[in-house]
Amino acid sequence: MLRFILRRLLAGVILLLVVSSVAYLLLYLGAGDIGRQILGVTATQEAVDAKNTALGLDQPLIPRFLGWLGAAFTGNFGTSWFTSQPVVAAITSRLAVTLSLVIGTTIITAVVGTALGVWAARKRGAADRLVQIVSVLGFAIPGFLIAIFLVNVFALNLKLFKPTGFVQLSVSFPGWLSTVTLPIIALSIGAIASIAAQVRGSVIDTMRQDWVRTLRSRGLSENRVLYRHVLRNAGGPALAVLAVQFVGLLGGAIIVEQIFAIPGLGPIATNSTAQGDIPLVMGLVVVTAAIVVVVNIVIEILHGFLNPKARIS
Amino acid sequence: MFKRKAAVAIAAVIATGLALAGCSGSGADSGSAGSTLTWGVIAQATTFQAENANWANESPYIQAVYDTLLKADPDGTIQPDVATKWEYNEDNTVLTLTLRDDVKFTNGDTLTADDVVASLIAFRDGASPNKSNLVNLADAKAVDATTVELTLSAVDPALLNYLTQNSGVVAPASSVGDAATATAPIGSGPFILNTTDTVVGSSYVFDKNEDYWNPDDQHYDKLILAYYADPTSLLNAVQGGQVNVTNIIDASTVPQMESSGFTANKFELNWWGFLLSDRDGAIAPQLADVRVRQAINYALDKDALVKTIGNGYGTPTSQIFPTFSPSYDASLDDYYTFDLDKAKELMTEAGYPDGFEISMMRTSAVPESHWTLYAQQLAQIGITVNYTEVQPADFITTMLQGTYPMYWFTLQQDPTDWQLTQFQVSQASTWNVLHQSTPEVEAFISTIQTGTEDEAAEAGKELNRYLVENAWFAPMYRPTSIFMSDANTVVKTQVGNAVPYLWNVEPK
Repeated sequence: MLRFILRRLLAGVILLLVVSSVAYLLLYLGAGDIGRQILGVTATQEAVDAKNTALGLDQPLIPRFLGWLGAAFTGNFGTSWFTSQPVVAAITSRLAVTLSLVIGTTIITAVVGTALGVWAARKRGAADRLVQIVSVLGFAIPGFLIAIFLVNVFALNLKLFKPTGFVQLSVSFPGWLSTVTLPIIALSIGAIASIAAQVRGSVIDTMRQDWVRTLRSRGLSENRVLYRHVLRNAGGPALAVLAVQFVGLLGGAIIVEQIFAIPGLGPIATNSTAQGDIPLVMGLVVVTAAIVVVVNIVIEILHGFLNPKARIS
Repeated sequence: MFKRKAAVAIAAVIATGLALAGCSGSGADSGSAGSTLTWGVIAQATTFQAENANWANESPYIQAVYDTLLKADPDGTIQPDVATKWEYNEDNTVLTLTLRDDVKFTNGDTLTADDVVASLIAFRDGASPNKSNLVNLADAKAVDATTVELTLSAVDPALLNYLTQNSGVVAPASSVGDAATATAPIGSGPFILNTTDTVVGSSYVFDKNEDYWNPDDQHYDKLILAYYADPTSLLNAVQGGQVNVTNIIDASTVPQMESSGFTANKFELNWWGFLLSDRDGAIAPQLADVRVRQAINYALDKDALVKTIGNGYGTPTSQIFPTFSPSYDASLDDYYTFDLDKAKELMTEAGYPDGFEISMMRTSAVPESHWTLYAQQLAQIGITVNYTEVQPADFITTMLQGTYPMYWFTLQQDPTDWQLTQFQVSQASTWNVLHQSTPEVEAFISTIQTGTEDEAAEAGKELNRYLVENAWFAPMYRPTSIFMSDANTVVKTQVGNAVPYLWNVEPK
């Protein structure tokens, strides 16, 4: 088990290296005159040149990249060009916000999606068709449209929630709830739809297996068969979908956070990319790649736990 | 049994959530609560480090935590601030400033002449986009604790104006050069940045500086500068009453903001149109003929351009001088009115009855429809535009390389003639991108710099007329800038600045 984790971690480090090298080169090759972008139209060429020199942009690309890489290994990702904040501080202060949204969404998705999927698989008929239609709709409507709809109805008209902003959980629980409820609903609808469809299909397939009939014939109650045996078998594929969802939700959160002006990674991801704040973009690339690596390792371990056939010796 | 229990549990959770959310929704820190000013800003604070400070959209950040040597009224009139008196020597090359002795920094130190000297020199040598404002500052020295003497290498008619902006910010000499002040500034201003509550890049929280020397300028106990990058979330914040005042990102949201009880405070900052940069004809010989440049001006249907490109927010004009400049001449606004016959006649006189081809650059950062409209306007007089696509990141740099004969752009209208000429007219200026000029223009600029007050004022007027008559530019209109304020807040817009000055935003 330990060897497996170590091997995966090593592969993750190599992946991080490749991703960050490619990102670094692409960003700088397409960056244009960075000093001018930072200082704007009012600055004289002398001021722009001075800025470029101060940022070390007069150095060749490869030594600059090696310098960045060396610093990154020591945990120093530099300072944002547009807010003067150290990149590590900018990301850590916002990562918790985004993760609270994404984890909240994932939990709700797992619970509601599984419940809906199981319900549809058990009931079939009208309930099943209803879940299928809702799934297709939920999957088809993009999260940001749902977000805009929710803001208009529940925040601006009914005034039940705040349209924008974020309150830390540590500051006030009701405040936090009032700011995260709509974003989490906006994010989870599409995810619930696909988990429900996945669980429904897996459960129906598993229920048809011979061993399920055997279990029933041994007199096990339907609930016990379903929750102890069928769901455990059907859970594997759903978990894989959930893992992909989790990573996808990080992307979805970027847009939803922008709409709700939530100070997570979303606004800085969109701003830093649009502005060309390369140190911050690089920090974000490394962090998201690291999250993807970790999530995948965790899911593989969970998968082994659920399905002994996939368990790693 | 299970189902009913589960359903009850889920319903209870939802109900609790809604109830809790409802409670907080009504009594939370909405923008209008108490004496908090929540200001929607569309720029993050690049830095709070005084010597590198930005201005314009970032002026509220800087004005919150720092004082400036001088201060400008909404109409641009210079007033005392940290400096109570200022006096030039006879040839305007030495400026003596007398300072207040009761200004304290938030680290407890008293502001002295040494702090002023260190701040000015550091700004001149720093990394602010406006560092060239102090390019003529040869030296600064502290005569005594409250007297500073600035020696200039050349007369600078805009210096006093610059000292009301980021160039005139005073930080303690001990903190100059300290990178930590980029996010934790030490100033003497009306507010103190609350680094605990601030989320850098999203929401900047400032507490009132209780020891401030000029409480008349402190209208609130707390200031929140909330950054919005997305027009929809900004509109939602306005409609949800989460900001008191705000810049706008998208002019099409203004009517919805107005229907939420906000007032649109309108002003003008920029001009929008063509830079006919190659007046010597180095790249496009046709532009050397003034009749061709005039024909381009006559071919612009400015009213239609305001409607289509400016969303109806703009004033057609033929001059680049702003209404708040003493050299502004209202009659020049309609010097060139849309007249295709006249334009074609001028083209024929110049020897181009069938027009010609001209190269221009375009970028995807500007809507496709704009470029099409510009080309259509010129096509009316037979000028065919051959666009070259330039990446948004390279757009300004490529423009400044001066490899095209004419450009579309929008440039600021500075309040003083000297600033305006140094930015976009004089041969050496950044936005005279091909650096072409005429002896007449340089003579006018020289008089603006070194002439008496009356001579300079007259030269400014004549320069404005000269630029219009000789069609140095083909302005389309002055876009209307809009700053929104709610029913509880009154604002005075500032000439030459993207947002009002901090102390001109007050509770009603």
